[in-house]
Amino acid sequence: MQSESARMSSAAEARFRVQAPNSRPRAITVVACDAVSEAVVRKLAGEGWAHATFLTAASARPGDDRSPAPDDALADLADHARNLDDAVETADLMIMVAGPGGMAHFAPRIGEACGLRRVMTTGFVVGVAAASDAELSRTLAQLRPWSLMVVLANNDDYIGDMMTALRA
Amino acid sequence: MLRKEQGDLLTQTGPDTPMGRMFRRYWIPALLAEELPENDCPPVRVKLLSERLVAFRDTNGRLGLVDEFCAHRGVSLWFARNEECGLRCPYHGWKYDVTGQCIDVPSEPEASGFAQKVKLRSYSLIERGGVLWAYMGPPDAQPPLPEWEFATVPKPQTFTSKRLQESNWLQAMEGGIDSSHVSFLHRGDLNSDPLFKGAKGNQYNLNDARPVFEVVECPGGLHIGARRNAENGHYYWRITQWVMPSFTMIAPRGNHSVHGHFWIPIDDENCWAWSFDYHPIRELSDAERAAMRDGKGIHVKLEPGSFRPMANRDNDYLIDRAAQKAGKTFSGVEGIGMQDASLQESMGPIVDRTKENLVSTDNGIIMARHRLLRAVKALEDKGTPPPGADPVHQKVRSAAIVLPPDVPFTEGARDAMVVRPAVAPASV
Repeated sequence: MQSESARMSSAAEARFRVQAPNSRPRAITVVACDAVSEAVVRKLAGEGWAHATFLTAASARPGDDRSPAPDDALADLADHARNLDDAVETADLMIMVAGPGGMAHFAPRIGEACGLRRVMTTGFVVGVAAASDAELSRTLAQLRPWSLMVVLANNDDYIGDMMTALRA
Repeated sequence: MLRKEQGDLLTQTGPDTPMGRMFRRYWIPALLAEELPENDCPPVRVKLLSERLVAFRDTNGRLGLVDEFCAHRGVSLWFARNEECGLRCPYHGWKYDVTGQCIDVPSEPEASGFAQKVKLRSYSLIERGGVLWAYMGPPDAQPPLPEWEFATVPKPQTFTSKRLQESNWLQAMEGGIDSSHVSFLHRGDLNSDPLFKGAKGNQYNLNDARPVFEVVECPGGLHIGARRNAENGHYYWRITQWVMPSFTMIAPRGNHSVHGHFWIPIDDENCWAWSFDYHPIRELSDAERAAMRDGKGIHVKLEPGSFRPMANRDNDYLIDRAAQKAGKTFSGVEGIGMQDASLQESMGPIVDRTKENLVSTDNGIIMARHRLLRAVKALEDKGTPPPGADPVHQKVRSAAIVLPPDVPFTEGARDAMVVRPAVAPASV
């Protein structure tokens, strides 16, 4: 007699898998952390996503030690100011996008807010193919402490594939 | 999540499929050399990429990999007599050489030239590092011979095994780059398996079950770094290598051997899980070889006379619920290889990726699919040779290393991630 594992792992048994949805949509927020990444994020936003929000913090400038970047640096792509805490509150996953060169000054603020609310964070570096090691290092130093996953892709279009894979 | 058509594209590797055409641009492991131990030994059935073939070593030691079936009446040449530089079909005596060329049709006058008109499909088969490698693609696109370090170090330094996995190749391979499962599924083995235990890195693993990942594209595939906390604010990095299409190399532990896998499609519902262990600068000890043969580390115990694991789906993988409850194993299945295989086979022959819910830590898997899809498209549209066939892409090493917090692993482990002859692997 066939074992249960043998019977149940057959292609024939796959017909009987429950077809009901097994998850609810997740809310993904993508934040462009600098000018280089803002162009990528704007293009990405135009692709039409069901569960994604696109913001920019490209105007953030470095502050002093106590306040690495001002609170009002976050905006939507129509340039309306957005509150960071509200943005994090509604997100299941926060993707911080930054180009090489270490201009992601708002990343620590996002990271701190996500850490407090236990929101998953991913750091995504664009423009990797043409960047020097030193430029990448500066950006990684900004993203790494606040990202539970860091991605360095040669092609910037990977971020769209990643979001599709995550059901954005 | 993958769309159905993307999943079909990646999982189907028959001769008339895009992914099948891509797999055929690589040298792939086909048999252990010991399966054809001597000249004129019995032929062996080989099914690769959904093609049924027979392999043999002729009287002069030449290797052949040809269509399994005689061109006359379709008899399997597994029954053939391997003699006098060819396989002779036992039914009517038709004989084929290692190129598949028919060289004798006894019923026809030799002068008729009929035999010359009959030729079975054949593929290149070469021996390297105790493995017989097949190239099944267009002859004019054959890449240089494989240069994987495990296959080029002296024989006493390397050990290779293979096992049948009853699932599609992709879900097996994706397990090899899914670093986050190690802290759960394999946690019981790090301090007990003779091929892992004793390494300082094991404690970093066990003390920090929530590693942080970095996925970095490289010319041949991906570097997948898993970062855990170490002393004095430093990070313990485990760097896995994935080289396209299906080579994975796991970060080493202490002075143990380095190991990894190839995942090679047999057909769309079965694959070979190849497992290698080697040390770049020292011979493997008798105890290490005995442990590998006994199914320790990433190897598995096999049913005698076959490559099917002793624990398999027909015996529910010998699951031990008491051991699971006691924490001896996390899943109740013994051995790292079968812990992986049992779960991957339970997904079904080809898992339905339209229903999965990947999370951000699955980026290694997401990016591997992205690169495979991109490479298939480039090959189909422009004939671009896929990454991973170039020997430069194959000269990689996995690494385990402790680095200061501000040093990217791609910088701090740059030298450690490439083959350096006579230099020990970076390991903790």
